[in-house]
Amino acid sequence: MIAFRRSSTYITPLIFFLIVVTFFPLALGPQESLLSSLAPGVIWIAALLASLLAVETIFSEDFRDGTLDDFFISLEPSFILVFAKVMIHWLITGLPILVASSIAAIILYLPLDSFIPMLLSLLLGTSFMSLLGALGAALALGKSAILSAIIVLPFSVPTLLMGTSVITSSLNNQDFSGFLMIMGAMLALGIPGLCLLTVEALLLNYE
Amino acid sequence: MIKKWLIEMGSPPLFYKWSTKILPWLFISAILILGIGLFWGLLFAPTDYKQGDVYRILYIHVPSAILGQSIFMFMAFCGFINVIWRAKISGMMLKSAAPIGVSFTLLALVTGSIWGKPTWGTWWVWDARLTSTLILFFIYTALIGLHSTIDDKTKADRAVSILSIVGLAIIPVIKKSVDWWQTLHQPSTFTITSSPSMSPDMYQPLLICLIGFYLFFALLLTLNLRNEILERERTKNWVKQLLGGVG
Repeated sequence: MIAFRRSSTYITPLIFFLIVVTFFPLALGPQESLLSSLAPGVIWIAALLASLLAVETIFSEDFRDGTLDDFFISLEPSFILVFAKVMIHWLITGLPILVASSIAAIILYLPLDSFIPMLLSLLLGTSFMSLLGALGAALALGKSAILSAIIVLPFSVPTLLMGTSVITSSLNNQDFSGFLMIMGAMLALGIPGLCLLTVEALLLNYE
Repeated sequence: MIKKWLIEMGSPPLFYKWSTKILPWLFISAILILGIGLFWGLLFAPTDYKQGDVYRILYIHVPSAILGQSIFMFMAFCGFINVIWRAKISGMMLKSAAPIGVSFTLLALVTGSIWGKPTWGTWWVWDARLTSTLILFFIYTALIGLHSTIDDKTKADRAVSILSIVGLAIIPVIKKSVDWWQTLHQPSTFTITSSPSMSPDMYQPLLICLIGFYLFFALLLTLNLRNEILERERTKNWVKQLLGGVG
């Protein structure tokens, strides 16, 4: 919870997200029809980049000051502790992105009816990204921040496609629940699977 | 019997000795079958009535695309063994297979775009199978990139193993999700469930090419793996004896 004492940790992803979103109208021109059709993709790309922004901080500080050592010595299963770290990461990146996405949707002229699908897809998608990001951070612990991004990005393709499909389908008045269910399934499998692999990856540093 | 053999193969020196024995056979069979397949496909198979002779690139394109995916499966399989049983040689195998896999995937992408230009009229289309192959290529580069940043080879192997397991889980999802997204590519050439849509004259050389490519992969993997074993075990006595005290 120390992360919350410094406001910069959760303000930075939010501002980064909004800046990236702002750049698209500047680069592509301010036509309303163009922007609203591009909005799902723009919001999702910005969300992916913003959620990867703080990814190497998940474990790096704890590794340096020895908190991570205590994780593995303590009687708690390390799986739970890793999951807690992932949830904290989501609270300081995913949640601010969720809040900022409403502003992004307004400035990109996304119709109001699509707000709920957008928020739902971001809720599931950014949580999955936090899990994936934690694994990337654990594998690239002590290495450059860009490495964990390169590791994680190819694996985030399904999230990007599903997330944009949810918003696009709702724009076209189609049923989007199927895409949400797949995102939910990925999250449900990702919580045990990715957390266990993250523990395995962290243990590599203690051999 | 099989268990004993597997345990023996898990030991680098024994594997090295065993591979010295099979290497000539592997070399001959790979060159022979690949040669027959390519000659048959490129020179003697009938010309396609719609595409002309351009279609012959398929004898390289299809096997390399299949190999690109199979090698990833193979790597993930090695990754599983490495994470669960910590077998050293499986990590080396994973490491040796990665550059071969990324080369085949790149070859599939390049030959595909050379084939696409005369038939589709463009080098690249955002089609589902092209896109998922491109993402497979990125995943390969991520694995290789991760391996090269970690100095301790055994740790690097394990890290890449973990990532390849995630890859194995997520690649079907990627393929399925890009499928929904776009599809233009012709359906798969090979399916197990139905008979091929190609004429047998074209199909048979392709099958031989595919077997040839697999053997070629086995050959390259063995050669790579032998180098990897020698490099990592260079301080051990058996390597010093083998090289006559040169190292």
